[in-house]
Amino acid sequence: MLIILFLVSGCSLIDNDFEVQNYSAMDEQEVKDVLASDDRLASAVVLFFEEELIVGVRAKTFSRFHKTKIEKDIKKQLKEKYPDLTITVSADSKIKMETKKLIVKEDQEKLDIGIKKIKSLLKEET
Amino acid sequence: MNEKKYAALEKEISPKTPYLRNCIKAFLVGGTICLIGQFVALFYMTYFDFTERTSSNPTVSTMIFFAMLLTGFGFYKKIGQIGGAGGSVPITGFSNAVVSAAIEHKSEGYVLGVGGNMFKLAGSVILFGVFSAFVVALIKTILVKLGVVSW
Repeated sequence: MLIILFLVSGCSLIDNDFEVQNYSAMDEQEVKDVLASDDRLASAVVLFFEEELIVGVRAKTFSRFHKTKIEKDIKKQLKEKYPDLTITVSADSKIKMETKKLIVKEDQEKLDIGIKKIKSLLKEET
Repeated sequence: MNEKKYAALEKEISPKTPYLRNCIKAFLVGGTICLIGQFVALFYMTYFDFTERTSSNPTVSTMIFFAMLLTGFGFYKKIGQIGGAGGSVPITGFSNAVVSAAIEHKSEGYVLGVGGNMFKLAGSVILFGVFSAFVVALIKTILVKLGVVSW
């Protein structure tokens, strides 16, 4: 019984947890609404910086098969809300991790280097 | 004693195969190996510039390296005895098949012994691995075209 409980504990639902850091003049409420309306997401990290918008999301366990579709859907919705920004959406945990690091560091001067690094990581194929 | 009688007698005497127990053991051992693999992937993602997608290559290499050491020191056969399919299905089982064959035929020389026999066991793994990868890719292509899953 205990073993079964231990094994299925990974399937438990995680509460929605969205973290937003805004270094631009854009309204961040819209991105929150978009993310909150998608029930396939477990958590997300959002970073606004000048003309850039980086969104790292974590899909729920059984939605992980549709990661590319989730990325595409969110990017499309965000593009409608923020047509002037360069939007990067990724469901890769490394991107979420790196974005979180940038937010925690709070070093605005190094933000553009960090964002460039995130974008180059996404381009990596092998 | 005819053939049928012998078969019936043999069936009666030989112990029953504990399928369920074997399945549970394979699940736990295979699952533990995969859990270690997950930790290795997480290590590459945290300390190096690998993403979730690109970390799979170094993870596989590392797991093969671990299994190679375990086979060389003689621990992997114990894992295989307990886990059965759980020890042979992950990539570590493949590594074990290659290295154990290499060790076994070392006495016959490096070219004809190690070189010629290294893939004796693993050759079938490569063949059926490539074939099953082809089948899985085919199924996935169809599913993607139908819009059930995405790449």
